[in-house]
Amino acid sequence: MSVNKLTSRRWVSITAATALAVSVAMVSGASPASAAAAKGGTLYFYTNSEQFPALDPTNMYTGRDIGLFGTYLFRTLTSYKMEAGSAGTELTADLATNTGVPSNKAKTWKYTLRPGVTWEDGSAITCADLKYGFSRAFALDVFNAGPTYAISWLDIPTLADGSSAYKGPYKKTGKAAYDKAVTCSKDNRTITYNLKRSVPDFNYFASYPTTGPIKASADTGDKYDLHPMATGPYKIKKYAINDELTLVRNDKWKKSSDPMRKAYPDDIVIKLGMNEDVRDEVDMTDQIPNGINMDGLQPLNNIAYFNDPTKAKQRWNIVDPFVTYLTANNSAGHLDCLLVRKAVFFAYDNQSLIDLSGGLKYYGVMGDNIVKPNLGMDYAPTKGNIHDPNFKIGGNPEYAKTLLEQAKTACPDAYDRATNPAKGLKYYRADTATNKKSAVLVEAALKKAGFVIETVYKPAGTYNANLVEYKSQTDFLASGWAADWANASTVIPEMWGNGCCNYTKNEKTPEYAPFIAKVNKALSELDRKKQATMWHELSQYGMDQYWYIRTVFGKDQATWGSKIGGMTEWKPFSQAIYNDLYIKQ
Amino acid sequence: MLKYISRRLLYTVILLLLVSLSIFYIFDLIPVDPARLVCSKSCTTALVEANRHRLGLDVSVLEQWWRFIQGLFQGRTYGEGGIKDIYCGAPSFGYSFNRHACVSTIMAEAFPITLSLTIGAFIMWLSIGISLGILAARKKGKFADRASTAFVLIGTSLPTFITGIMVVLFIVLKFHLVNPLELGDWQNPFTNPLGWLRTFFFPCATLAIAYAATYTRFTRSNILEISTEDYIRTARAKGLSEKVILRKHTLRAALAPIVTIAGLDFAGLLGGAIITEGIFGLSGLGKLSIKAVTQTYDLPIIVATTLVGSAFVVIMNLIVDVAYAYIDPRVRTT
Amino acid sequence: MSKFLEVKNLSVSFPTEDGLVKASNDVSYSVDLGETLAIVGESGSGKSVSNLAIMGLHNPTMTQISGSAWLNLPDGPIDVISAPAEKVRRLRGKVMSMIFQDPMSALHPYYSVGNQIAEAWSLYNDGSKRDGMARAAEMLDLVGIPSAKDRVKDFPHQFSGGMRQRVMIAMALVNNPSLLIADEPTTALDVTVQSQILKLIQEIQKEFNMAVILITHDLGVVAEVADKVCVMYGGKIVENAGIDEIFYRSQHPYTIGLLDSIPRVDKLGSHRLKAIPGQPPSLIGLPTGCAFAPRCEFVSQVAGSLCTTQNPDLSEKTTGHFSRCFLEPEQIVTLTGRKASAK
Repeated sequence: MSVNKLTSRRWVSITAATALAVSVAMVSGASPASAAAAKGGTLYFYTNSEQFPALDPTNMYTGRDIGLFGTYLFRTLTSYKMEAGSAGTELTADLATNTGVPSNKAKTWKYTLRPGVTWEDGSAITCADLKYGFSRAFALDVFNAGPTYAISWLDIPTLADGSSAYKGPYKKTGKAAYDKAVTCSKDNRTITYNLKRSVPDFNYFASYPTTGPIKASADTGDKYDLHPMATGPYKIKKYAINDELTLVRNDKWKKSSDPMRKAYPDDIVIKLGMNEDVRDEVDMTDQIPNGINMDGLQPLNNIAYFNDPTKAKQRWNIVDPFVTYLTANNSAGHLDCLLVRKAVFFAYDNQSLIDLSGGLKYYGVMGDNIVKPNLGMDYAPTKGNIHDPNFKIGGNPEYAKTLLEQAKTACPDAYDRATNPAKGLKYYRADTATNKKSAVLVEAALKKAGFVIETVYKPAGTYNANLVEYKSQTDFLASGWAADWANASTVIPEMWGNGCCNYTKNEKTPEYAPFIAKVNKALSELDRKKQATMWHELSQYGMDQYWYIRTVFGKDQATWGSKIGGMTEWKPFSQAIYNDLYIKQ
Repeated sequence: MLKYISRRLLYTVILLLLVSLSIFYIFDLIPVDPARLVCSKSCTTALVEANRHRLGLDVSVLEQWWRFIQGLFQGRTYGEGGIKDIYCGAPSFGYSFNRHACVSTIMAEAFPITLSLTIGAFIMWLSIGISLGILAARKKGKFADRASTAFVLIGTSLPTFITGIMVVLFIVLKFHLVNPLELGDWQNPFTNPLGWLRTFFFPCATLAIAYAATYTRFTRSNILEISTEDYIRTARAKGLSEKVILRKHTLRAALAPIVTIAGLDFAGLLGGAIITEGIFGLSGLGKLSIKAVTQTYDLPIIVATTLVGSAFVVIMNLIVDVAYAYIDPRVRTT
Repeated sequence: MSKFLEVKNLSVSFPTEDGLVKASNDVSYSVDLGETLAIVGESGSGKSVSNLAIMGLHNPTMTQISGSAWLNLPDGPIDVISAPAEKVRRLRGKVMSMIFQDPMSALHPYYSVGNQIAEAWSLYNDGSKRDGMARAAEMLDLVGIPSAKDRVKDFPHQFSGGMRQRVMIAMALVNNPSLLIADEPTTALDVTVQSQILKLIQEIQKEFNMAVILITHDLGVVAEVADKVCVMYGGKIVENAGIDEIFYRSQHPYTIGLLDSIPRVDKLGSHRLKAIPGQPPSLIGLPTGCAFAPRCEFVSQVAGSLCTTQNPDLSEKTTGHFSRCFLEPEQIVTLTGRKASAK
């Protein structure tokens, strides 16, 4: 897999798909939970990862963990329906009595707690717990991995450096402002969020564990991650990094207050730090029949497994939520020239790169947008790029050369940067074995078109932290992104606007300001259909600018043991509907 | 002798202080900023500085080192961990915000795993290596010698990651010897020796194969070399039986250098057997350090594992030297 | 009456890649209790191998041996060449002992000298470790190590070369052997120490009435201690006689050459030291004819180039004086210009 969902958490958050998710997916897998589903047994998961990026709900931001722990451990105000097909992408009330009541042009959102909801210690979940949980996201010095929507949306003043005046529950600063922005009713059961601007999709955010309750008296700060308090049908019995996470039934959880969760297995054990070869062998020889591989197989083993007809009911190959991309540094002195960016796009040997990672069948297909089709109405095919008659998946160095030739006069600086042997393009890559292999292919393809290119390797895992620094040094880089929920509002602003992760940004270009204005307008648009059309326009514009030189719509494979029942795709996460999993008797 | 040992102890302490200081300087030179690394998506300069303070990196390297040394003896408080400050008691090796625990606690959990792996492997490779070496030397040129030469060749040329994977895939999993879910489970060898054996036998054997091969070759050539010594002829001239000569005279001299090598190999492994631990899913020091270096850049863990690893080597050097003085009287008086 | 040790037609050879090394070729000699036999020769003459074979210290897998070496023990004679190895081992250190050239390397560096002596003692005596150490101290005292009791626990490296050779002797004699083979015992030592050690061997021999075989390349050493001498060349005995016969009426050109090459006080001023020209022969594929012929100054004196075509037998030239040379005693006297009875 190109993107390790566990380690690149800050970069890659995961999508929800809409009702009419365009199904490029080749979904197989078992039929939805049938009558055979039965209680009992131990459900195993196993992974090469040694620890979870986060168990602390405030820090939790990977789709898999939100789906997994959102099902078993943590309840949130809203939740995606734990159902197959498009129904799974709809929200439903979970801790709350409904999916939220917006008012004041969606600037105010109100939720009331369901009666009888409790913590694992039996105490009732209150509005104060919700308010406290929501506040922790502001303590950025303690929790740095979770989503930051709360900070940018809540009606709390912003300081000169762009940070919130409220610094979280561990400091006194800005507490009054927070108390004003988030209020509890007298009976401590209804919570109201007051936002700066219209956020029509706040209810989606309310399905994130980071918005869920935390009991202040149980908060151990940084160490809370090792043993967060459960609200769901299971609680943590043991969490030993590099060993295992064991969940057992939460006897304080009541079915009456949670009609949705089925809680079939008695125990859930997640085996951590399993060697990749061992893990693959376990899958191929069905050594843990009641277990699920959380990682996917290594490419060669993956192909062997998927060619094995006896495994037909123990696998699926589906479209994942990710778009992997190559993004150009649009700043002056780098690739601030459309023709050069275009030349890079046409010179690229996409075929070899995709083959290296598992091929079109398992890795992914060429995309024409940074919004993926499974985002539903926000996706529309773009014109140009891969639909350009000059596009060849294996690269078109001749055409790239003619574009470069035009750039010679149109933008001599960028041309010089790209072709002068003394300068040349710098390609950022994390220093890993796979990346080294792919860098060779990239270099070869670009050299063929007349580019001068050098790959710059940086320590793996430092990308996010040093984005600003790398931007001054490199010309393009590869990464991946997935929407946080089924709205391009979690994609386009983050990637191309003023969001977290815009590597391509150049505020000095004339096109930038009008683009941002349009993005902001789209963000606050209450008419969902109108909003979708606005996103279409914006993605076409960005693609025409070749800010993203290349996009790939990724695929994902899952494999599991022969005694696992109820494996069905949960669209929002491209994961299993964990709620349906059971052990075949 | 006491004077010698105390002098050496003093040197060892000084050396360890210098090693720790240089570790701090080396990691300061690496162009990775841990304060940025843990910065959230909406990262501001103020936040980076706050992180730097929280991680204790907002002071000079010398000061960082001094605080670390103090923490070793007095325990230490780490700020900004939430409701209250985080305290790690002495000996504090730092606090890992990535693993949400005191480094000393993390290491105390990992160390018994690495220690028992090392001891198990050590016993295996010493007994296999030395006895094969003796056999080969005694049956020089015969089948047993050739067979052991083949073993040496295979053992030394196959890297651990290959033997390890072969052991796991083609022995352990193939014959269902260990449930893959139990692979790498820690069992206390004193309370549950059989359980320990089940999960540790194969990793120990994997490690032992490579080392045993080296020790076989070493033992064999040493015995053959010592056998030609005049004092072995003297022993024979006394009328001693070949068994006694081998046991008392040849082996004593032939194995003395092995003490040095074995001691250092042992100490080296105590720092963590990265590959073997990885293959068998053992959460020892090796896996701990490799993850800290390559994945999370968890500086307190990197510093602590590096320091502890080098401390093992430095201290083992001292032990080996003292032991050697007991073995070889010529060293004792000089 | 047979002697204590009788070596008969003993041949020792080692097959090598280059050919068969005939290190000791059809060697016969004898030595009796109270008697000292010196075996003399240049290095590579094969003077040590036959004795190592008698001790059973040769490498059994790489050595071919024929002939016999009889020890006339009180409970009957035994041929140590054909006897089982284990039986010979039980004689080593008890009936026959050996000391070696280099006392620096012949002692085990890791054990105290007392320990090493006691080990040899306890092999053939019942007694505690303490008894062994006491016995070791006694022996060290006997061989002239000062304050022996304090030094039993010292290690070999704490002794000087001469002292170490004394330790070796103490160890060799701890079980009162009847035969002591001393293989170049003084070669590695200072000249002053050399004669002390030789004196010690002599004294001890008298005290214990031992048979002693002294292997040396140094005729000066021989003159001091030996009763009779075997001169070896090219793996064969070339001359075999009593000490006076060898020194004053030597019958073999090689022996004569050896004698001429040592400085002698009695001939100081009138005598020039003469080295034997040429190199000792290789022990692989010896030429037909006399092995010494290529270096012999008298080769032309023998008629019909006999020296290079035929190997002379070891024949008794005068009573009890054997020589392997075609020349007769009279011819030798003439050729060397030696006065037959110069004494």
